[in-house]
Amino acid sequence: MNQRFQDRLDAGILFCDGGMGTQLMAAGMNLGQCATLFNVERPEVVSDIHRRYAEAGCDLLTVNTFQGSATALAQHGLEGRVEELNEAGARLARQVADDLAKADRPAPLVLADIGPFGGFLEPLGETSRDELTRLFTQQLAAQQRGGADAVIIETMSDATEMDVALRTARALGDWTLIASFAFERGAGGGFHTMMGLDVEAAVQGALESGADVVGANCGSSLSLDDYVTLAERLVAAAGDHPVIIQPNAGTPVLIEDRSVHPATPEQMAALVPRLIDAGVRIIGGCCGTTPEHLRAMSTMKPAV
Amino acid sequence: MKTLEQLTEAVGRGDREAVSSLIESAMMQEIGPKAILDALVAGMDDIGRRFKANEVFVPEVLIAARAMKTAMAKLEPILSEAGIRPAFTAVIGTVEGDLHDIGKNLVAMMWRGANFDVIDLGTNVSAQRFVVAAREHKASIIGLSALLTTTMPAMRQTVQTLREADLNGAKIVIGGAPITQSFADQIGADGFAPDAASAVDKVRQLVGAA
Repeated sequence: MNQRFQDRLDAGILFCDGGMGTQLMAAGMNLGQCATLFNVERPEVVSDIHRRYAEAGCDLLTVNTFQGSATALAQHGLEGRVEELNEAGARLARQVADDLAKADRPAPLVLADIGPFGGFLEPLGETSRDELTRLFTQQLAAQQRGGADAVIIETMSDATEMDVALRTARALGDWTLIASFAFERGAGGGFHTMMGLDVEAAVQGALESGADVVGANCGSSLSLDDYVTLAERLVAAAGDHPVIIQPNAGTPVLIEDRSVHPATPEQMAALVPRLIDAGVRIIGGCCGTTPEHLRAMSTMKPAV
Repeated sequence: MKTLEQLTEAVGRGDREAVSSLIESAMMQEIGPKAILDALVAGMDDIGRRFKANEVFVPEVLIAARAMKTAMAKLEPILSEAGIRPAFTAVIGTVEGDLHDIGKNLVAMMWRGANFDVIDLGTNVSAQRFVVAAREHKASIIGLSALLTTTMPAMRQTVQTLREADLNGAKIVIGGAPITQSFADQIGADGFAPDAASAVDKVRQLVGAA
C-alpha cells in the first residue's frame, strides 16, 4: 500500500463517490451516447459531478473512464482516442480535487478507473492476455499522466481479467490498487460473480495479483441487507487488507417509464454503521447513488 | 446407444475433440442425424439445468456452446440432406440505447444449442430493425435484451412497435439483469426468462415444443 493512501486510511473511514453514469444521464446524456467522450466534449458536466461528490464529503473521486477501453470506445467509433479521453478524464477529477484542497481537509484522492473490457479472454473468447494488457495499459497510463493517485478496477467478474488489470496497473507504478468485483446472490444463498467466482476465491486471487484493497461494487439483485452480509464475507476473506463496498441505491424499479433506484439517502446512510461494524474501511456507491446519498452517508462517519 | 450418451456428456463438458470423434463414430454405426442432434441438444439441456442451479457458471456454458458449434458444423450438411430443419427461427438483439451483449450472446448460444435458427442483430437495435428482420426471416420468436435499467423504456417501445406490425403471431420474449416477470406483464411481452437456460424452456413452452 502506497504511504499516502495508508495515511488517509489510518485517519479513519474513507468515502468514495457514487454512480457516474446515472449522474451523467441526469445531466442530459442520452442513451447510447459515449460517457467517456463527455470528458472532452462536456468537461463542465463531468467536473460538476466530481465537485458535488467532493463537497458531499467524498475522499475518493473516480475518473469517468469506466467504459474507456479501446473495445468499449470502438462501439462509438472512438477507439483511436483512448489516450486522449482517458487523460482528459483524469485531469478533470485532478483539477476538482486540487481546487478543493483546504487547510483543514486534504485534497480528495483521484482514482484511475477501469471496468470490464466487454469480452472474454482466451480460451473462452478471442482476446489474449497480451492484448488485454495492452488495452488496460493504454487506459491506465493515460490516467496516470492526467494525475490519478490510485487505481480502482471495478465491476469485475472474471479472475483472469482482474489478474491482468492488477498486474498491468502495478507495472505502471507504486500506486494503491483497489480490486472490486460485482457479485450476485446464488441459488444456494451464497454470492458469486457472473463468471462463478465466490467471495473467497475472488479476494484471494486479487490479493495474490497485487491488490491493496479488495471489495465489491454494483452487482445484481442485491438488497441493501445483502451488501452487509457480503461485506462480512469480504472482510473475513481479506485478512489485514482493507475492504471497500459500493452498493447500488437498491434494485431499480420502473416508474412512469423512468427507471428509479429506490433507496433514499436516509436508507443508504443507515447502512453505513452496519458496514463499518462489518469491518469495511471504504464506503461509496454505485448505480443510482447521488451526491445527496453520499452527503447523508458521509455524515455517519464516526468521530476518531 | 452408448455412443449417443457419451456424445451428450461430451457436449456438457465442452470436449470438442470427443464430440467430433463421437459424431463420426455414430455415423459409422449408421445412427441417424436426428438422433445425433437430439443427443447434442440433450447435452446443452444438461448444461442449462446445471447453470440454472448455479452448479456451473458462464465459462462452462461458453465451453459447451463452443463444442456444440463444432458439432453442428459437422452435422449440418447431413441434417439438411435429410431435410431436418431447425426447430424455430428466432431473431434476437439488445434494444436501442443499450450496447451490452454478453447476456444476449448467452441466450443466442443456448437457443442455437436447442437447435433454433438464430438471427443475431447485435446491440443497439431499433424497433424497426427488429420488425424488418422478423419479417424477412419469418421468425416465430423475437428476443429482446437489456442490461441498463435506463433502456427498459426502449424495451416497452419496441414491444409496442412489434405488436403494431403484423408478424404472424411471433412471440416476444424479454430478459436482462433489470427485467422481471412483472415488467414483462406490464409491457405486454409474451414471456420473460431470468437466465439464458430458462430462455430455452420459455420458448419451447411458448411455441409448444416442450
